[in-house]
Amino acid sequence: MPLSDDELHAYADNQLSRERASEVAQTLAHESALATRVDEIRRHNALLREALDPWLDEPLPRELLAAAAGSAARPRLRWLPTALAVAASVVLGIGIGWFGRSEMLELAGTPVTFQRQAALTHALYAADANRPVEIWANEEERLVRWLSKRLNFPLHAPNLNGLGFALVGGRLVAGNEKPGALFMYENADRQRISLFVRKDGEPSRETAFRYATEDGVGVFYWIDEDCGYALSGHLDRGQLLGIARVVYGQLAAAEAADAATPKR
Amino acid sequence: MIRFTEDAVLPETLPHPDLVAALPRLRRYARVLTGDMHRADDLVQDTLARAWEKRRLWQAGSDLRAWLFTIMHNVHVNQFSMRQREYAHASLDAEDGAAAGWEIAVRATQSDRVELSEVLAQIGRLPPEQREVLILAAVEELRYEEISAVLGVPIGTVMSRLSRAREKLRRMTTEAPTLKVVR
Repeated sequence: MPLSDDELHAYADNQLSRERASEVAQTLAHESALATRVDEIRRHNALLREALDPWLDEPLPRELLAAAAGSAARPRLRWLPTALAVAASVVLGIGIGWFGRSEMLELAGTPVTFQRQAALTHALYAADANRPVEIWANEEERLVRWLSKRLNFPLHAPNLNGLGFALVGGRLVAGNEKPGALFMYENADRQRISLFVRKDGEPSRETAFRYATEDGVGVFYWIDEDCGYALSGHLDRGQLLGIARVVYGQLAAAEAADAATPKR
Repeated sequence: MIRFTEDAVLPETLPHPDLVAALPRLRRYARVLTGDMHRADDLVQDTLARAWEKRRLWQAGSDLRAWLFTIMHNVHVNQFSMRQREYAHASLDAEDGAAAGWEIAVRATQSDRVELSEVLAQIGRLPPEQREVLILAAVEELRYEEISAVLGVPIGTVMSRLSRAREKLRRMTTEAPTLKVVR
């Protein structure tokens, strides 16, 4: 079979089948002009890779990592434009400082905002190396069952493995009148984030993501009916928002599944 | 009660780790397309946003990278008007200097090899559609059929662009004064 120009390129780019490639190699053995051309193509390929490969090792900007997490995505969700607008106006927490746990308990009765309560709870337990949780992730089912019973509504521990955060476990924490629940996650760099869930009497109509920083802890929080959720951690806002979206999506899916199953 | 659309029920259909792993290559391809570091990152960001919007169209298990290249190509083509592309062509015919908009920094400090910076300048002088095919074949090592799918052109067009790109590269290399073999 004669050698076409296309095949010459395909041969140089290693795209021919093994049989055809060996036939071409035989032809090239006595067609020195073509063999030279193949060598030249391969030399240029190598040169191009050598020139462009260093770009692959450059550090990635945060915006791109956030965009990869889908943080600029899902514009079709009806609430999202509002959520983004709200998230864009960073609500800075008042610099009250870290009071420590005893002071926080002394303040019982003093209104503490939901996001502040979430940040304080996160700071307290995430820093605890030995006992950040009461029930560890190896007993996830028991953990979720127990917390659901204590909070008196079905809870779900989101799965954040795809984002590099594994469930550490969870614990019962102080809410307002009722207890709250805390699920803690950790990534390979030992960074911890926590999802704080609290149920209150007052149903809310709004469901926008809001962002606050409290003593350096970033908190994305949202109210879903009468249930408040807060995702806290020492991550940057974009990363945290990306994770919050995943959490929200999974909880919404779980809620839909709960609604679809008949009540026992 | 929050009303959520189907989007919320199927929140994640793109594998996030694979997406992150594809980022450096997306970024590189964007630089080759735009010829500019900053515009490249904007293009990557637009591409990712589009990918998330269209995530249902991605077939799980298929090559995510090729799919992202396809989206990037389309976003880029839509963003750059025909006029700008023609302008880029016109400047090539002038036969001097790099193509319009080709501002990829040649970092002499990273490598003292003249031929590396030369080859960067040369691909800037190629017409964009030839440059695309050359990079996808030679650097990204995509199969010709994949390139045809990414660019939405017949495979015959891929081959003729590749052939012309290489022919130009060859001519430029042999004619480049710095690479001339002096006897």
